[in-house]
Amino acid sequence: MKKLCAILLALVLLLTLAACGGKETDQNSFVIWHDKEDAVAKVLEDYLKTALPDYTITLEKKTSLTDSLKLVGNDPSSAPDLFLFAHDKVGLFAEMGILAPVEDLLPAGALDAYLPMTVEAATYKGTVYQLPLYFETLLFLYNSKYMTPEMAPETTEDLYAYMEANTGRDRFGFVEQHSTAYYAAAWIHGFGGEILSADGTPFPDPQAVKDALRYHQKFVALMPGETEYATVNTLFLEGKADSTIGGPWMVPSARDAGIELGIAPMPTVDETGLPLAPYSGVQGVHVLTHAAKDKPEAVKALLEALLDPTVGVELALASGCAPARSDCYEDSAVANDPMVQAMRTTAEIAVPMPNLPEMDVMWTVLSNLLTDVNLSGKDVDESFDEALAEAENLIANMQ
Amino acid sequence: MDKKKKSVLVSYLVSAPSLTLIALMVVFPILYTFFISLTNMSVYHWFDFTIIGLQNYYRALFVFDSGFLSALLATVLWTAVSMLLQLVLAFLLASALNVPKLRPRKVYKTLLMFPWAMPGYVSILLWKTGIFNSEFGLLNQLMEALGRETVRWLSTDLSAFLCCTVVNLWLALPFMIMIMDGALQSIDRSYYESAILDGATWLERTRYITLPAIRPIIAPAVIITIFTTFKQFDVVYLLTQQMGARTGSGFHTILTYAYENAFVTNNYGYSSAISILIFLLMLAFSARFQLREEGDA
Repeated sequence: MKKLCAILLALVLLLTLAACGGKETDQNSFVIWHDKEDAVAKVLEDYLKTALPDYTITLEKKTSLTDSLKLVGNDPSSAPDLFLFAHDKVGLFAEMGILAPVEDLLPAGALDAYLPMTVEAATYKGTVYQLPLYFETLLFLYNSKYMTPEMAPETTEDLYAYMEANTGRDRFGFVEQHSTAYYAAAWIHGFGGEILSADGTPFPDPQAVKDALRYHQKFVALMPGETEYATVNTLFLEGKADSTIGGPWMVPSARDAGIELGIAPMPTVDETGLPLAPYSGVQGVHVLTHAAKDKPEAVKALLEALLDPTVGVELALASGCAPARSDCYEDSAVANDPMVQAMRTTAEIAVPMPNLPEMDVMWTVLSNLLTDVNLSGKDVDESFDEALAEAENLIANMQ
Repeated sequence: MDKKKKSVLVSYLVSAPSLTLIALMVVFPILYTFFISLTNMSVYHWFDFTIIGLQNYYRALFVFDSGFLSALLATVLWTAVSMLLQLVLAFLLASALNVPKLRPRKVYKTLLMFPWAMPGYVSILLWKTGIFNSEFGLLNQLMEALGRETVRWLSTDLSAFLCCTVVNLWLALPFMIMIMDGALQSIDRSYYESAILDGATWLERTRYITLPAIRPIIAPAVIITIFTTFKQFDVVYLLTQQMGARTGSGFHTILTYAYENAFVTNNYGYSSAISILIFLLMLAFSARFQLREEGDA
């Protein structure tokens, strides 16, 4: 019995050691991490299987993708070869040294066919670190039962007048996540302000931000106090809100709820003549340094396959994504999709989320500022000064 | 080797697997966090970090500003109120469960344990959207039914504090009830019979028999719960401070405050230094409680 135990233990030890042994790079297989919905992953998986039959490509869904990459990004035995994620973490991962520039892996001029906004989003300190696939941005959505296309507001004052006339008795003319940084950014951009400049300065134009916050307050007063995603979504889907600013992710549930959805251009701020310009998030493929170093030819083949406009078209048709390549919009099916076309139009004014590492702290800072001004009723100037000091302090502490 | 030494050696040997596991799961992370706190590990030095001595600790002390002190005071108050309510309610409910001839005792016990079976994250969000939400929550539905103005329950410091306390009670009570119930059942019934014969009232029986008898049994549970409450993050963060769903309340515990003022920076050296300082703070509290317990014994 003792002998048997000893043999079994020795076997377990041997197996463990074997498992810990060096892993040879398999030139024909890829692991791609992503956090996308199943429809997007399936399109990509099916397309890549057809386009690259000689390669084994595994798409793995990771819920805490960025945290996992922080832990294992430089460990070839645990890290993926590529990952599909929004562009706003490009700076963070580039600074960590786990991202490979993609331009070196693409044919010359390959990115010329992409919407300029998407390439700009993928660029950090002059280097492109992401091959864009599609983008998302916020849209002005309305319930056609209450708001006709003619009633859709062209300016923010039109919107305010509509809200005043249609808010009350369990109904709202317009709702949005007014105290969430991602949504409030559109108003700040509408006043010519920025949350973070290209060189990492927080709130480079303080007056514009203060003006936007002050002007936005009268709209906030006509919306519910709590406007996190669940509340806004439910109000709109239950027909208790006539219009909203939301992303394409709201569309399937709105259609399921039987809402006849209308899409209008973002209203223009009367005072500045600028439209409410939402942030855009560009989803694309990032290559990890170890993959670019260990299997450059295979990575090049994969990226080249993803350059094909078919990918963008299929993604647009399967899940309403707005393709990053301009030529995808020439496809008749894509051209007839109002949601995709609306995002294509909004791309002209949308501002890519800053991809600097400093943006990580700015989300918190702006969120606190919006809470103070919109929900706690604090003074705009005082709250802004506190927020700026907090931003400078947190950015300094990043170093 | 004499018999005594051999026996000590054997006891260490048999405890070795457990001790190794504890070392790996508890001691190693603390030591590693301490090591990281001495380095400049951040986004800009993720894999090439170097040791920079106590610089992070010097910077971390700036986090311990007036905001941190008020968060510390709020945390102490939050712990005290939560503990007091938990002890009183758990005692009352456990006593009710031990009423002789209570019929569906097991059904009640199962129901009371239910919050424990649900993931905390789900419970907290259910409370937030189902009960406290200003548009759809049960409380405001009741207010409307009574013809009263709706209230934003989580918008002020005081109301948020109370709401967080209620949710924390919901989550923590099952554990305390279970311990109290076990403790109550361990008391010899003959004490009560004698006391009743002597004419003791319920209050007297509780004061002179029940409380002294259950005290040593519930003491460890109380200490554990004090620290769980003290380092509570989920309830306060998810109810009031969650990114994209803030409610306007400024109620912070030391952990939510430290998270907002340090951990978002992605500077692991600096954040680790703050973690170690908070850990030392809690260790000091723990030592004080332990000493008091020993002193009382």
